[in-house]
Amino acid sequence: MEKLMQDLKEQIIQQLNLQEVKPEDIGDDQPLFKEGLGLDSIDALELIVLLQQHHNIRIAKPEDGPNIFYSVRTMAEYITAEKARQA
Amino acid sequence: MIRNYEGDRLPVADPDYKQWIDIKQIRRMGRAIKMGVAASHMSLEAAGIRNPDAIIMGTAYGCLADTGVFLQKLVTQQEDMLTPTAFIQSTHNTVAGQIALLLGCHAYNNTFVHGAFSWKTRCKTACCFWQKILPAKSSRALLTRSQNTHIPFCAASDCIKISLRQICCTLPRQEPWQGGGRIFVLSAEKDEKSLAQLTAVEMLYRPASENETAQQLLAFLQRNGLQPSDISLLLSGRNGDERSDSYYEAVEKAIFNDTPVGAFKHFCGEYPTASAFAVWMAAGCLQRGKVPQEAMVKGDAPARVERILIWNHHQAKHHAFILLEKC
Repeated sequence: MEKLMQDLKEQIIQQLNLQEVKPEDIGDDQPLFKEGLGLDSIDALELIVLLQQHHNIRIAKPEDGPNIFYSVRTMAEYITAEKARQA
Repeated sequence: MIRNYEGDRLPVADPDYKQWIDIKQIRRMGRAIKMGVAASHMSLEAAGIRNPDAIIMGTAYGCLADTGVFLQKLVTQQEDMLTPTAFIQSTHNTVAGQIALLLGCHAYNNTFVHGAFSWKTRCKTACCFWQKILPAKSSRALLTRSQNTHIPFCAASDCIKISLRQICCTLPRQEPWQGGGRIFVLSAEKDEKSLAQLTAVEMLYRPASENETAQQLLAFLQRNGLQPSDISLLLSGRNGDERSDSYYEAVEKAIFNDTPVGAFKHFCGEYPTASAFAVWMAAGCLQRGKVPQEAMVKGDAPARVERILIWNHHQAKHHAFILLEKC
C-alpha cells in the first residue's frame, strides 16, 4: 500500500502537471479537492484517465468518484480492491 | 544580455509567467496560451482598464503544436483515455477563451487563424466592430483596429521582452524563424496612455507584379489622403532572403525613393504575425518621436516622426499595409 501511494503521488503530479508540488507535499489522507490539494472538476477527469492508463481500472459508477478520489489513500484502497476483484 | 543560438529556428525566451498567472491555472496552459494570457495582462495594465469590450485574436496556425499532441494521442490511444487538458490546449481559440475566462469577460470573442493574414484580419474585424456593433465612442477592444476610422491605439503589451531584442543573423538566406505574442488595447478615443493612432490597415493578396504592388500602395496612401512624401518612415518586412528583399527594393525604387526605410525582422525574426511586432515598434517610435538608427536600412533615422507606413509581405503573396500616426 505504501509503495502504491507513493506511485500515485508521482502519477498525480505528472498527470495534473502540478508544478512546484513534490510527492512528499501530498499527505496520504489529505483531501485532493477543495481545501486540500485544491483540485477541480477537470482534474477529476484527469484522475479517471490516470486510473485507466496506469492501473487499467475503469470506474463503473461515476457516483463513487468523490469517495474514490477523496485522498491518495482512498485511491490506493480502491485500486487494491479492484485488482483483487479482477484477479 | 547576449545569447548565442544556432539553427534556423529560435525559441522564444519565456519570462516567469507566474508573475501574471496563478500557478494552479498555469499548469493547464500550453506555451502559446501562457504567452497570450501574460501579454493580455500587460497590455490591459498599460492601458489602465479592467475589462475590454471585445477580445479579438489573430494567430497564424492556432495552437497547432498542442493540436498535434492531442491528435497523436487520439491515434495512439485509439480514441480512448483522452485527457481534457490536452483537448483544451488543442483548440484554435483557446487563447482568447482563456483570457476571457480569467477576466470574466463575456463580450465579443473571436479568433482568426488565417496564416499570414491572421493579424490583419483581426484588425479588419475591429473595423466592423466599431462601425457596426459598438457605436459608443468609449468602446475598447483587446487587440486590433480598423480602416479609415482613425481609432487611437491605446496601449500595447511589452511582450516584446518575450522575443529577442536583437538577432544577429548569420544565416545566408533569411532571418531565423521566431515567434512571439503581442497584444494591443485599442480605443475609440485618445487618452493619456495612447501610444499612437492606427489609421488604416489593408491587405493585398497575390499581386501580379512589383508594379501592381507599388500601384496598390499608392492607392492605399491616396485613400488616406497621403502621398509617399508624407511618410516619415517606411518600415519594411525585409527578412534577409534575397528573393523577398529584392521585391521590397523594386517597389521602394518605384515610389519611395526619397523616403527613409527601416526594417524590423532583424529584431524579431520571421513569423506569420510579425506585422504585429512592427506595429508595436512603430507605435513606440511615434510615441518617443524618434527611430533607432539600428532600425534603418536606407537613409538616416528621420528627425521628426509623424507617420509610419508598415509594409510586410510573405512570399510576395500576402501583403499588409498598415498606417500609424502620431496622436
